[in-house]
Amino acid sequence: MAEPIDVGAEYGSAVDDYLTRAYDGDRCRALLSAGGWDAGLAAELAELGWHGLAVPERHGGLGAPLSSLGPVFTALGRHLAVGPMLENTLLPAVLHPHWTIAPALAAAVETGVPVALVDPGITDDRTADVGAMTLHDQRLSGAVEAVRFAGQASLLAVVAATEAGEVVCFVDPTTPGVRIDSVDSADPATAFARVALDDVRADGAAPADGGELVARIRSWARLLIACELSGVADHALDRTVTYIGQREQFGQPIGSFQAVKHIAADMYAQATGLRNLCTASLADATDASTADLAVLAWTAKAHAAEVAVRVCEDAVQLHGGMGFTTESDVSACYLRTLALRSWYGDATELQLRIGAALLDRV
Amino acid sequence: MTVQPPSAPTESLDAFRTRARAWLAAADIPEVPRDIDSRFATLRQWQKTLFEAGWVGIAWSKQAGGQGLSHLHHLVFVGELARAGAPQPIGLIGLEVVGPSIDRYGTDWQRHELLPRLLSGDDIWCQGFSEPNAGSDLASLRTRAVADGDEFLVSGQKIWTSWAHLSHWCALLVRTDTSVRKQAGISYLLVDMTSPGITTRPITQMTGDREFCEVFFDDVRVPRANLLGGVNEGWAIATHTLGSERAGATLRRRVECEVALDEALDHLRAARGSSSDDRATAAVGRAHVAMRVLDAQTRQTTARLVADTGPTPMDSVDKLLLTDVEQIVFAEIAALLGPLRAVPGARARGLLSQRWAYEHLYSRAASIYGGSSQIQRTIIAERLMGLPRG
Ligand SMILES: Cc1cc2nc3c(=O)[nH]c(=O)nc-3n(C[C@H](O)[C@H](O)[C@H](O)COP(=O)(O)OP(=O)(O)OC[C@H]3O[C@@H](n4cnc5c(N)ncnc54)[C@H](O)[C@@H]3O)c2cc1C
Repeated sequence: MAEPIDVGAEYGSAVDDYLTRAYDGDRCRALLSAGGWDAGLAAELAELGWHGLAVPERHGGLGAPLSSLGPVFTALGRHLAVGPMLENTLLPAVLHPHWTIAPALAAAVETGVPVALVDPGITDDRTADVGAMTLHDQRLSGAVEAVRFAGQASLLAVVAATEAGEVVCFVDPTTPGVRIDSVDSADPATAFARVALDDVRADGAAPADGGELVARIRSWARLLIACELSGVADHALDRTVTYIGQREQFGQPIGSFQAVKHIAADMYAQATGLRNLCTASLADATDASTADLAVLAWTAKAHAAEVAVRVCEDAVQLHGGMGFTTESDVSACYLRTLALRSWYGDATELQLRIGAALLDRV
Repeated sequence: MTVQPPSAPTESLDAFRTRARAWLAAADIPEVPRDIDSRFATLRQWQKTLFEAGWVGIAWSKQAGGQGLSHLHHLVFVGELARAGAPQPIGLIGLEVVGPSIDRYGTDWQRHELLPRLLSGDDIWCQGFSEPNAGSDLASLRTRAVADGDEFLVSGQKIWTSWAHLSHWCALLVRTDTSVRKQAGISYLLVDMTSPGITTRPITQMTGDREFCEVFFDDVRVPRANLLGGVNEGWAIATHTLGSERAGATLRRRVECEVALDEALDHLRAARGSSSDDRATAAVGRAHVAMRVLDAQTRQTTARLVADTGPTPMDSVDKLLLTDVEQIVFAEIAALLGPLRAVPGARARGLLSQRWAYEHLYSRAASIYGGSSQIQRTIIAERLMGLPRG
């Protein structure tokens, strides 16, 4: 029976404190309607050193384990922070052995100018709709319909299929044959682009390892998104508790009606359960094998996808007409969870993966 | 429950686990009969065996007849029992619910007389709280006890009393004052079930078992020495009874669900062979996610238990999540039975129909007993979220 350990909790509260002081309120609201990207904010967070949290000390980072990013993402979710935090914290840390062939990874940590992850594996479900990418003789071809922050990136980390499994290749976005088209975004915190590569020579690639590195990146992305979703759910819950304690109908606060109370109590229990699942998953991830890490991450992400969306739907419901407007925070929470829900798999998709992995296990 | 500060260094959890495993590997683990009377007899004998080997009352103080170890030791044993495919002792109501209250509020006589036999399985206890008109609103109970010299005269009716027809003792809530606020007129009696005037009538549950009963009290004489705590102090003790071991019960149930899911997985794997089965794959995925949520939640429960925080409204979050998970896990597995659910002796996808149909039905009670899910939600909303009382 593992003791509950809250890896990285202190980083989470530091981020929480800063965002409470410097981000909440008008600034947050303005950025949520500005397309998900703000160069000033990205530079500011780089300046604060947040992107180097899990980067090894010899590269100038803090050298914290990847799991300490979890509480940071929960805090980011709680404040509805916009921008490429996943790209700027996770990729430089996981890809640090390749900083020499891809110096833009270091630059992302220092300046906040993002690295984009061009990954057709954001879903297993109808992959043909998302796109595909292949590597032959050091040359990349293919397209991915939705890439976060590709339009702002100084480097593309491209996941490509080879005969020896998937590998990560690095491409300078200004290379001839690279085409990046910004597309509209329904996620208030993310900018998207379509990326097409037409026989583009990779500047370098991580060595083929049977797909281990790619699996690790995806697992950590799932865990961190689960944490972020947990934070968004917490935010929607907080707003709702405040609102239903104040809003009066029939001469009393609507929170005194049992029908309302019970929905709110379910939100509370579900959000608590999700938070605890994230904490436990991060603790267990620390020394898990790649295969176990994958199952942990599928599980956390599957549950987060379901619960965060449900909590936000209840939040919208309990805010009445106000919940349906863009003026309310809870509508932004809902849009955010809907976007993150399917990024690297929703509950239905991931439950199938988990089931298959468990049934195949001997 | 009071845990004695150990005089000798406490056995490490690992050493304890090894010792438990070795004992269980050599133990003669009983098959659990379907028939309720022989099930009761078998499991009572099993409790005696466990007790004699020192595996009952693990976290109870030595004074009270226990082993003086920690809650964590107890949980390790619960897990080892389940993994060994061995049943829990039958006297869980005594061990988890009534016993701790006797230990805490009882007189010397009550503790010395009642607890050793409760632990050994010589006495099986039932809990006579609910009444036909006092369920969720337990404090409105009406079974009356009137002082008569050195005795109380008890009249009234209880219902849903699990194992009452086979029990030796009953923890009974009675009304001793009708003139005050309903919570302030309740007393807690320890009643010998062989007393004249008690009639039990088993009720058949939807699982087919006759596990709970109606219990009628007709001028039953209960010695004053059997009063737990003071007259009209029963409500606080009942609250302790209901709250104190809820965390322990949650943790035990978690292990049971986990072991059941593993067992289902073994059957599914064996029956599937190398062919694919999308329906089972999806069900297993969903059940696994639910189980992990419970696993994560119970780490917090364990931390609270170790820190000995006592009952908190957080227990209601545990109860609600446990209920959810239990109902999801068994509904998912039972759905895999398909039409063969209707044929108890059949196997579908390797799963024995009656076994998983039973688990599924039983899971439906989880949101009713021990404070229904609606009651838990109200507690969460008012005590944890600070919403106004309605
Ligand atoms: C398998 C099983 C074993 C049991 N064993 C025992 C035992 O050993 N000893 C014992 O004393 N009891 C036992 N019980 C009884 C159990 O504690 C009661 O069933 C429970 O307290 C609910 O009471 P009730 O059945 O009267 O339902 P009611 O209280 O009548 O509730 C009916 C419905 O109304 C809802 N409701 C009631 N009040 C409210 C409210 N204020 N707000 C919102 N909704 C409300 C409930 O949630 C429920 O859905 C057992 C029950 C079961 C199912």
